[in-house]
Amino acid sequence: MNVRSGKASVVVLGGVLALVLSACGEDAGSGGGGGGGESGGGELDGAELTVGAKEFAESKILAQITAQALENAGATVDDSSLSGSATVREALEAGEIDMYWEYTGTGWVNILGNTTEDLPEDLFTAVSEGDMENEIAWLPAAPMNNTYAIAVSSAFAEDNSLKSISDAAAYLADNPDDGTLCAASEFLNRDDGLPGLQTTYEVEFSEVVEVDLGLIFTQLGDTCNFGEVFSTDGRVVANDLVVLEDDLEFFLPYNAALTMRQETLDEFPAIADVMAPISEALTDEEITALNAAVDVDGETEEDVATQWLEDNGFLE
Amino acid sequence: MTASTEPGVPDLATVPAAAATAPVRRERRTVASYLFMPLFLGLVCLGLYLYVQSQELDSIEQRSLNASNIGKALWEHIQLTAVSTFFVIIIAVPLGVFLTRPFTRRYRGILLTVANIGQAVPTIGLFALLAVLFFFLGFAAAIVGLVAYAVLPVLRNTMVGLQQVDENILEAGRGMGISKFGVLRRIELPLAVPIILAGVRTALIINVGAATLAAYINAGGLGRILVAGLSTNRLTVQIVGAVLTAVLALLIDYLAGIAEDVLRPKGL
Repeated sequence: MNVRSGKASVVVLGGVLALVLSACGEDAGSGGGGGGGESGGGELDGAELTVGAKEFAESKILAQITAQALENAGATVDDSSLSGSATVREALEAGEIDMYWEYTGTGWVNILGNTTEDLPEDLFTAVSEGDMENEIAWLPAAPMNNTYAIAVSSAFAEDNSLKSISDAAAYLADNPDDGTLCAASEFLNRDDGLPGLQTTYEVEFSEVVEVDLGLIFTQLGDTCNFGEVFSTDGRVVANDLVVLEDDLEFFLPYNAALTMRQETLDEFPAIADVMAPISEALTDEEITALNAAVDVDGETEEDVATQWLEDNGFLE
Repeated sequence: MTASTEPGVPDLATVPAAAATAPVRRERRTVASYLFMPLFLGLVCLGLYLYVQSQELDSIEQRSLNASNIGKALWEHIQLTAVSTFFVIIIAVPLGVFLTRPFTRRYRGILLTVANIGQAVPTIGLFALLAVLFFFLGFAAAIVGLVAYAVLPVLRNTMVGLQQVDENILEAGRGMGISKFGVLRRIELPLAVPIILAGVRTALIINVGAATLAAYINAGGLGRILVAGLSTNRLTVQIVGAVLTAVLALLIDYLAGIAEDVLRPKGL
């Protein structure tokens, strides 16, 4: 709570007081705490929840959206973990946090330890069923798909009339020396990254420049003609880049879904009801705009999330 | 015995004390003690090999853990360490000699500050700066970052090593009619060698560790395996990257220790 401003914590404190008072006033029925009362719209009255995030803007925005929506439904959310960390999945399993947004593709490869050679038809179902073993529940995934993408500068795309990765493959067959690709380690090592891409499109990049993810945007168009980016990254548009269409549908779907420990969901099933319409509204266009507001315009994740929830009528 | 606690050394106030590492004076080692470290490291590598062999590797792990990739990463790492340490020595030792001459007294503070800044800035920050501001990536950029980071210990030890030489000996040398340069070459430098070598050894170890970060700017090295393991959450790959880096660091430290024994002037 100490992340917040003094004003906000007074409001939260007031809310807690009101909760305590109302709980005393009626009866001390804080056992299950599930459905609660219809009065006051607080489906999650009395729930104390922690939302975690990974260390990049999109994950933090999703966490803020979740935290604010749950608070709106009456829960108390400790937002000290909202700042993001690389070990968020471990924190979830250890019970340090109650929930965070994960991606289906990450769940399949990184968490469940599969490769993409044995990719199921319905990835979300496979991942959510596979993760049941670990007592982790996946709420229905959002339509937003933050998958890998290959980007080029818009000038380069125009000069060589590149629209899809197939176009790029054809171009590189004629100009093999132009195939410089900037990419980060994960993309270079995964089957659903560069190795599979080169096989599927029968394309060969002449020089692969392995750099940190954050450096790709600055190097694109300079050190490299091609770059690995994420499809919902706000910096793609801001840096005047064009994402090449994955016309052979090679890249794995990375739909975002809220994951939580099964016991948390059993205790507060209303979380699923609160989050369902929000998750549904998170399309590629929406999340890309939110990402750009944070990464390009420098707004805070918190403000961006509040604005979006208000604009879409999720906050009362 | 740390050189910086030596009494009667004039200019040490400008030299931060902690990093001036001097070798512990000891007897020449026995054959058995020379053999221990290589045997130990060999056993570690054998254990690592057997561990990896016992695992069933998926395609992601195989991509990192194959002989040609590991050999390439190891070789890149050795090159990064060797080349950066070479440049550290040819920059820092002459600079250290220069800065201990009486006529350079007034530049001393400024140049030491510059060297201090080099070590204060984190290597990864320097790498990112080179990449973002100058579009400077790859092996050469990594060398620049590593050299900036490791110059200080060698520079400091060179200065401390030269300053701790007894004034009376220098006086005696000059009294015998030896030129200034002759005194430097025949008296000061030989007497400073043990401390300079200790600084070089420190620089080598710093460079082995910091070179793992070169993977982020397309300069390869064992960091490539380590980062691949971290980014794809493959524990076996992480272990191989980490253990090989540690083995290389210990091996280089061991070789540097032998070099110290061999190069130390007789009678010291």
